[in-house]
Amino acid sequence: MTSLFLWWQGYVTVRLRGPGLEHLLNKMTDLGIALTNVERLTGDVVIAKLMVRDFRRLRPLVRGSQISVTILDKHGAPFFLRKFKLRGFLVLGCLLSLLFVMYLSNFIWFIEVSGTYTLSNEAVKEAIEDLQLRAGIVRSALQPRTIEVELLKRFPDLAWVQVSIKGVKVEIILTEREGIELEQAGPGHVYAAMDGVITELLVLKGTPQVRDGSTVRKGELLISGQYYDQRGIQQFGAAQGVVKARVWYEGVGEAALARWEPRKTGRSHRQYLISIGPLRIPLGRSYPEGTHLRDSKEWSLSLGRALVPIHWSKVDYHEVEYIKVEVPRETAERNAYELAWESLQSQGVQAGQILEERTTVDFIPDADGIRVMVQVEVLEEIGQFMAY
Amino acid sequence: MRSAVNQTLKRKFAQTFDLPSAILLDQATIHLMGDAEAKVVNHKGLVQYTNTCIKARSAQGLIEISGADLEIVSLSSSEIKISGMIRQVMLK
Repeated sequence: MTSLFLWWQGYVTVRLRGPGLEHLLNKMTDLGIALTNVERLTGDVVIAKLMVRDFRRLRPLVRGSQISVTILDKHGAPFFLRKFKLRGFLVLGCLLSLLFVMYLSNFIWFIEVSGTYTLSNEAVKEAIEDLQLRAGIVRSALQPRTIEVELLKRFPDLAWVQVSIKGVKVEIILTEREGIELEQAGPGHVYAAMDGVITELLVLKGTPQVRDGSTVRKGELLISGQYYDQRGIQQFGAAQGVVKARVWYEGVGEAALARWEPRKTGRSHRQYLISIGPLRIPLGRSYPEGTHLRDSKEWSLSLGRALVPIHWSKVDYHEVEYIKVEVPRETAERNAYELAWESLQSQGVQAGQILEERTTVDFIPDADGIRVMVQVEVLEEIGQFMAY
Repeated sequence: MRSAVNQTLKRKFAQTFDLPSAILLDQATIHLMGDAEAKVVNHKGLVQYTNTCIKARSAQGLIEISGADLEIVSLSSSEIKISGMIRQVMLK
């Protein structure tokens, strides 16, 4: 009998006490009662497990004999289910809770807006509420496509909107238009954020002060906020436009043409250290790190699995002298070039946007090294709006 | 005398037709799994059960299993499964 089958049918642990228990066990097996885990506790006590339906057949066998039968424990599905029968309201409560949760899952309870950068979340949420999307509405009443179209209409700065229902949550993912700021803080001009040669000039509002191909310096006026409207009246507004220019970045890296490497002289000294908690007791002299390499090993005292705060260390100091090793020029140049590129990347230059790259290699006479200067040309938006 | 003749005939019959003699002769079978588990099939009743010795009747005589911490894992009309430290199995 497998234990799973026993559990499903239900079984009891019984204690049989009295003389001639072997005889009783034989009578039980003759009747077809199967016993498991028959344990002999003492000369007149046996504990065994038998199925519930067999227990009822046991009574007539012991009637009139000196053997007593006691149920010690009840196991299995019938007893487990009986508990629930006795607690009808618990089962009912569980069922009702399940139904209630299923009913609640038909409504939208959470609204999540993501992707706002210049737009305020509150403004978007207000618009959503206007469109009848609020916590507590029925899921089936929701029309994501309509909300998407309405949001795009209400917020011209939005390039893309996605409304998706995920269970009881509505996720609204927004993407704002990049590049052109349609609404500026107030009247102002667009100035050059850095030196460069203009390659593209698109004026949306204002008067251009430069033209394609002009070389501009940082801070130079590119688009003026003063312009004349269709009636010929001078206006002071916020200059808007796209000004792309070829700009230069410079990165410098230096590398030595020689390096000093430690070489062991062969002389070494040993030191022992005993650590008791925070206290360290050295046995022997210490040597400075500048002239010696340090090689240490540590042992900890432990009693079984408990670690005792006592450590024993062996430190070997190897005396070294530094010898000069020449670095090949190509290696030094490559190292310096990599450093120069690191400098460029820290300025925000990406390798993929390079239009032109110029590399200059110079020797540093006194420092016995090499200096690599990398100049790169990239296409960038240099227009920077500044209010009056 | 008659029983002995019957047994001999049954054995010959089983050998001739290549049949399992345990069934024809009503023989008890003892399976031993290492020294930790034993199974007695086709027993004729439990005679003694202690932690050190379990005796069961069979058609061939008394089967005695002795050892330490012996326990009957399952007991039915045809099979006794025993676990524990089995030291000796005897047929008396």
